[in-house]
Amino acid sequence: MTSKLKATLLATAIAAPLPALAGPAEVLANYADIAQAGYEDSLATAQTLQSAVDALIASPSDVTLEAAKHAWLAARVPYQQTEVFRFGNAVVDDWEGKVNAWPLDEGLIDYVDGGGATDENPLGGLNVVANPTLTISGEEIDATEITPALLSDTLHEADEIEANVATGYHAIEFLLWGQDLNGTENGAGNRPFTDYASGDACTGGNCDRRAAYLKAATDLLVTDLEEIVAAWSEGGEGRTAVTSDETAGLTAILTGMGSLSYGEQAGERMKLGVMLHDPEEEHDCFSDNTHNSHYYDGLGIQNVYLGEYQRVDGSVVSGESLASLVAAADPSLDAELTAALAHTMRELGQIKTAAEAGYSYDQMLAAGNAEGEALVMGAVDALVAQTRSIERAVTALGLDGIEVEGSDSLDQPDAVFQ
Amino acid sequence: MRPLLAALALLTTPLHAGVPEAIEGHILPRHAAFAEAAAALNTAAQADCTAEALKPAYNTAFDAWIGVQHLALGPLQEIGGPIALQFWPDTKGFTARQLGMLLKAEAPEAVTPEGFAQQSVAVQGFMALERMLYDEAFSGYVAESYACALTRAIAHDIATKAATLNADWPATAQSLRTAGEPGNATYLAPAEATQALFTALITGIEYNDDARLARPLGSFERPRPTLAEAWRSGRSQRNLALSLTALEEFAALLADGEASETQKLFNDTEAWLDGLDEPAFAGVAEPTTRMGIESLTSYLDLLKETAAAEIGAHLNVGQGFNALDGD
Repeated sequence: MTSKLKATLLATAIAAPLPALAGPAEVLANYADIAQAGYEDSLATAQTLQSAVDALIASPSDVTLEAAKHAWLAARVPYQQTEVFRFGNAVVDDWEGKVNAWPLDEGLIDYVDGGGATDENPLGGLNVVANPTLTISGEEIDATEITPALLSDTLHEADEIEANVATGYHAIEFLLWGQDLNGTENGAGNRPFTDYASGDACTGGNCDRRAAYLKAATDLLVTDLEEIVAAWSEGGEGRTAVTSDETAGLTAILTGMGSLSYGEQAGERMKLGVMLHDPEEEHDCFSDNTHNSHYYDGLGIQNVYLGEYQRVDGSVVSGESLASLVAAADPSLDAELTAALAHTMRELGQIKTAAEAGYSYDQMLAAGNAEGEALVMGAVDALVAQTRSIERAVTALGLDGIEVEGSDSLDQPDAVFQ
Repeated sequence: MRPLLAALALLTTPLHAGVPEAIEGHILPRHAAFAEAAAALNTAAQADCTAEALKPAYNTAFDAWIGVQHLALGPLQEIGGPIALQFWPDTKGFTARQLGMLLKAEAPEAVTPEGFAQQSVAVQGFMALERMLYDEAFSGYVAESYACALTRAIAHDIATKAATLNADWPATAQSLRTAGEPGNATYLAPAEATQALFTALITGIEYNDDARLARPLGSFERPRPTLAEAWRSGRSQRNLALSLTALEEFAALLADGEASETQKLFNDTEAWLDGLDEPAFAGVAEPTTRMGIESLTSYLDLLKETAAAEIGAHLNVGQGFNALDGD
């Protein structure tokens, strides 16, 4: 402790006459630039997906289906790196349920193995693809035309149940891959391209309606992403919120890092799956792409701390970083947090490595699989550890008078102690 | 200069007196009581596993669990957090589905102590046991059936976990007490220990609001009585009351008796709750009775804000991240 105290005193002595040294304004501008670039990349890759979906629908084949799947996987790379913007920024948190809601009762959308309805969700077996007329909460719905508006306004979170996910990446994922019926064995969903074929070649029934659903969901994803790109562009709501108030802005960065690390990723998305041993508890359960989802979530956290983002076109966005602010306040804490984030990336990298070599994430979750559990828990422990360092950064930057959970308190950063 | 001053304050503030007081007066005795009640549940289950016979011991142990559920750090974190003992909310119906799979497979190794410890948390703990005792789809089993063995395995697992928590807490308590001292790798400053307990307190209040109340309330148009916690055993109101009692005790000790506004709100909330006769919160579905339950939300919102501000200021710490962050 003595050396840490000395280091802090030293930092005080150096920093005191130069309050602008680390530049919170530059840090926040760079943070907003990274958000904008990440969402622009998400939009561009979603537009590529949109073209691939159009091609699949125009001429269904193994080749066009594989191309659409490939485009979906590529689109997830930049998007997952933006999840770090979610919890700290109300504009993102209010929006993200439209594009990345999970887990979903996919029986709402299309055919599934078994009925689909559960105690908690009577609409889990609604099957919009098969039924042009639907009954939701006692009301009859005309679903003859499957449009983006039907998905977003009527079906999404129907009956106020969050598992009724009708839109976004995971709805599209289900329509491309289908259910993964391999349990905790190797293998992803295996939807045949003929689910989009016309006439007698059609499998699964209602291929035209399935194609209409896929088209509507993909078009909606693109327009939703356009909306969030605008929010982070010059004058947009997200950018303005973090750049107009330094305290609120720095709090948004750290809240996003800590909430994603701990409650969301370590807890809800990773540890829960290990404790339930259920393959449905993997984030990208249809495509078996969960290892990448987790990896790029982690990378997004590291990006905003180091102030650098690798774009999908090969260029780089970089600038003044939060790391420099923390280093100015407490150099040893900056070293600790930097090392913690790097350690997490190594642990997430090991999961990704094993999965890409054929040992898929759902296999790791099997009951009694000690090695798989150790692999996942290694990353969980690293995420928990980095959360402690993030909490220390909140304190070191003097932001701990602010409640760090809900977006309500973020809207009024000074309300807590008034 | 605020950041630097704050960093200095963190390093130089001594351990707040409320930390050892909360450990001695709240954390350790309540874990001892839970271990005792859980052991009695296990003894009762081994003697007679049938549903009616086991209900009294089940309820006593569940009561004791609610008294420690909010202390989700240290030993409880080590065994997987509160869901290791109570898997709820169960938004995708895991407990019924996975219990059904176990009962269908009838694998002998799945109900041995070692084998059962490897099973999903959805078939372990108080919510799985509630299904076995109170859900007609499960509760009709007879002695010496596979379901009987499963019930015994759940009770045994609860007792084992409670004993582990009770055995491991003294070491965590010592780590909290010596926060900031050389060699303490968990809590690098006294304020970190204070913050850890403060976070547990506020998260506990928030959980009562966000989960215990908000889930059954749903919306006025779409109330959800079957999403109430432990509605099958009629414990929804009881669990909320027991949790508030425990949190009130925790808050008073942690704040060293210096949180009169918080204390008053605990009293007001508890008085309102006492006035309700809603064991399973079924009244959320009727406009007349719904209002009484819905009012609790306002009490709990105010309680959370007040406790966060008043006790946070007294302890001079902010909240850390908690498991409710996220979805």
